[in-house]
Amino acid sequence: MESLFANLALGFGVALSIQNLLYCLLGVLLGTLIGVLPGIGPVATIAMLLPVTFTLNPTSALIMLAGIYYGAQYGGSTTAILVNIPGESSSVVTCLDGYQMARQGRAGPALGIAAIGSFFAGCVATVIIALFAPPLAEVALKFGPAEYFSLMVLGLVAATVLAHGSLIKAIAMVILGLLLGLVGTDVNSGVARFSFGVSELSDGIGFVSVAMGVFGFAEIIANLEQKEKREIFTKKVSNLLPSLQDFKDSWASILRGTALGSFLGILPGGGALLASFAAYTLEKKISWNSAQFGKGAIQGVAAPESANNAGAQTSFIPLLTLGIPSNPVMALMIGAMMIQGIAPGPQVMTERPQLFWGMIASMWVGNLMLVVLNLPMIGMWIKLLMVPYRILYPSILVFCCIGVYSISNSPFDVMQTAAMGVVGYIFVKLECEPAPLILGFILGPLMEENLRRAMLLSRGDALVFFQRPISLTMLLIAFALLAIVLAPAVRKKREEAFVEA
Amino acid sequence: MKITNGKDFWAGLMFIAFGLAFMWVAQSYAMGTSVRMGPAYFPTMLGGLLAVLGAAVLFRAFVSKIDNPLTVFPFKLWRIVAGLALGALAYYTQPSRDASMILEIGHTLLSGLAVGLMFAAFGERSLWVVLFSVVVFGYVLKPLGLVAAVVLLVFISAWGGHEFKYKEVTILSVALAIFSVLAFVKGLGLPMNIWPGIWE
Repeated sequence: MESLFANLALGFGVALSIQNLLYCLLGVLLGTLIGVLPGIGPVATIAMLLPVTFTLNPTSALIMLAGIYYGAQYGGSTTAILVNIPGESSSVVTCLDGYQMARQGRAGPALGIAAIGSFFAGCVATVIIALFAPPLAEVALKFGPAEYFSLMVLGLVAATVLAHGSLIKAIAMVILGLLLGLVGTDVNSGVARFSFGVSELSDGIGFVSVAMGVFGFAEIIANLEQKEKREIFTKKVSNLLPSLQDFKDSWASILRGTALGSFLGILPGGGALLASFAAYTLEKKISWNSAQFGKGAIQGVAAPESANNAGAQTSFIPLLTLGIPSNPVMALMIGAMMIQGIAPGPQVMTERPQLFWGMIASMWVGNLMLVVLNLPMIGMWIKLLMVPYRILYPSILVFCCIGVYSISNSPFDVMQTAAMGVVGYIFVKLECEPAPLILGFILGPLMEENLRRAMLLSRGDALVFFQRPISLTMLLIAFALLAIVLAPAVRKKREEAFVEA
Repeated sequence: MKITNGKDFWAGLMFIAFGLAFMWVAQSYAMGTSVRMGPAYFPTMLGGLLAVLGAAVLFRAFVSKIDNPLTVFPFKLWRIVAGLALGALAYYTQPSRDASMILEIGHTLLSGLAVGLMFAAFGERSLWVVLFSVVVFGYVLKPLGLVAAVVLLVFISAWGGHEFKYKEVTILSVALAIFSVLAFVKGLGLPMNIWPGIWE
């Protein structure tokens, strides 16, 4: 316990330095901005900024990027409540009751309770990370290649189970991602694989290009194909503080949302999106006020908004302790660490305590900034919402293109990103979810490396994965997850749940 | 047998094609043994798995209860062919290092057009216009500088939307060009030309 306080003190010392405070502020502001704006998410934004973070020191860079992710959760709720469009995919369920509250003239309390719930969840999640990350990292230090391989299998399976739509397509997307990740020079033999003599490809397909093409560009194009239609409730956003009655009605929902969100964030494949859906569904089932759900129940705003923020933050636990990303944003964070020359994994905590604890402490600081800044600044965010998409998307494109070009100062990366945009568009049209692809892409080389090592150590005996207890457990969980999802009853429920969303 | 789910049909074919392609290309690398895996081992395994999964998706397209038309998005073959032809032309007419500026710009435009045409084979107008603007940006940045590249990017991409207001787009492009120069070149110090190369 004492070491916890010592660690947190170290972390706050780092996070409260002027420079890091500034980058934290920049991160949460950017996060809120893109959270408010529909049509651009944290994945595209972080991908856009990756090349730029190269010039920063690692701690500041990661503090800023983390701020973008949880900041987006705050911003997303604003758009959901006022415009009935999810600014962020994780605030889809907030639309249901938040927008109804706004129509009843209660936009202020809805925004207020969302911010307060998020702040509470953010505080709890920070403590959870500080408590659980160190012991987990210690366990992870004992992992051999077999355990790592099985862990990655589990992570990827979990990610596909939680993906939208067809399971089999999601698995295929993971494998396609793994294969794309293998493009480039093979570390063991030095052979340039799948590069077709293109020298740029011998370093592999650019991670930023894949993320930005498949998420950023494809998203813009898909948005352009639909006509925009917005109805904004801007006039009556006064009185942001919820009444005492509102607090009485929603404190239990905030607690439940936080607990569920924190738990789901830790799971491989989890994160903000899953957390908010699950919290809304749970709340609808057990709240005394469930009859009012969908008609403007404050619980229907409080629970998912707390949950998505908690989930966004606790999804850093697998990243920081195991070096395994649980969702595309975390995959990008791994990319950011690699750019800085840090190998993600359990050793980060012991080798770079400033970075580890500084980042955790910055999350609490960032949440405080979000509450203090956002409530008074809501008027400004609303103004931003009035900016039509036809102005927005060329601006987004400019920043994306400059970011991509600056990776290697050549047109190649830009071309590559555009090509990935085509691929991403085809994925959207064929209903193939891209999130599993990006996870596979980042894990491809790691998985091959650990498979090779494990097989070398076991002298070619594939049974090694079933003989080591931790490895066996993880594979069993993975199989169980697949079996559960494939069971006809659950399969039907799962499809219904995603259709509802 | 009738295809009921067009999306699954194409997705299945896509996965099979990717899987087989990776397996096929991997054959030129060393396979190794299960103890010492060569560079071909893992890709061959994954490629095979992907092809099998693709076959399952393809099979589902015939028995699915979800009805999706077979045309998922417009596809124009002639644009791919024309793009490939122009691309080959650009490849074989690559100017030497000390070639004149005009020749270089001409070649750049030709390459951009080739890639743009290939993108234009897929999807609706918004897809290819947006991606074409990106391609132009990538090729034009070095010879023409950041300002011109941003203005071109904004103008072309804005043309891909529903409404194109001349005045608005002009203001936007100028504003973004100024901002990009200040933020990225002056602020972050990215090594990019601001104006066309011959002027500096």
